[in-house]
Amino acid sequence: MAELFRPGDRVLTSRTDPPHHTRLPRYARGARGTVVERQGSHPLPDRRARQLPAEPEPVYTVRFAAAELFGEGDHTVTVDLWQSYLRPAAPEGEE
Amino acid sequence: MSRINDVGGMQGFPPVAPEADEPPFHADWEAHVFALNRALIGRGVYNLDEFRDAIERMPPQRYLASSYYEKWLHAITTLLAEKGILTREEMAGG
Repeated sequence: MAELFRPGDRVLTSRTDPPHHTRLPRYARGARGTVVERQGSHPLPDRRARQLPAEPEPVYTVRFAAAELFGEGDHTVTVDLWQSYLRPAAPEGEE
Repeated sequence: MSRINDVGGMQGFPPVAPEADEPPFHADWEAHVFALNRALIGRGVYNLDEFRDAIERMPPQRYLASSYYEKWLHAITTLLAEKGILTREEMAGG
């Protein structure tokens, strides 16, 4: 699967609430963050957990402002996320 | 549909308290569970994500009352039964 994002890109996470294993935690759904770096390619756990074919796809470390996730806090939270969980988002300040 | 494992950001859970000089295993059975899981994944009986899924769909009350390796053993027995490799009766019989 082609790499869609580069470090510095703004992304929006999926709001999907799947009835199976996923590596996108509930607190990080529907949130805007910034790609920090690429973490290689790995098959999507959501598909492997259901024994479905899963080609390796890009995984990224994404940084979120705590206030974006929890409504408060000055720190940031980083989560490693598969490309399938991410959509492009407008640059910061333009959203 | 979020499950009981997904509690990040939820209130009511105390901070994680690391155990000083924590040993890899607190009892021999835990090492057996660890080895069994490695062997079953290595043999392709199930994959790591199926294993994690089996932990995450534990009944919430049981999940919260179980230790780390109790969750592993639950997932192993769940998957072996679902895949028809062992029956619940066979596992209970030792």
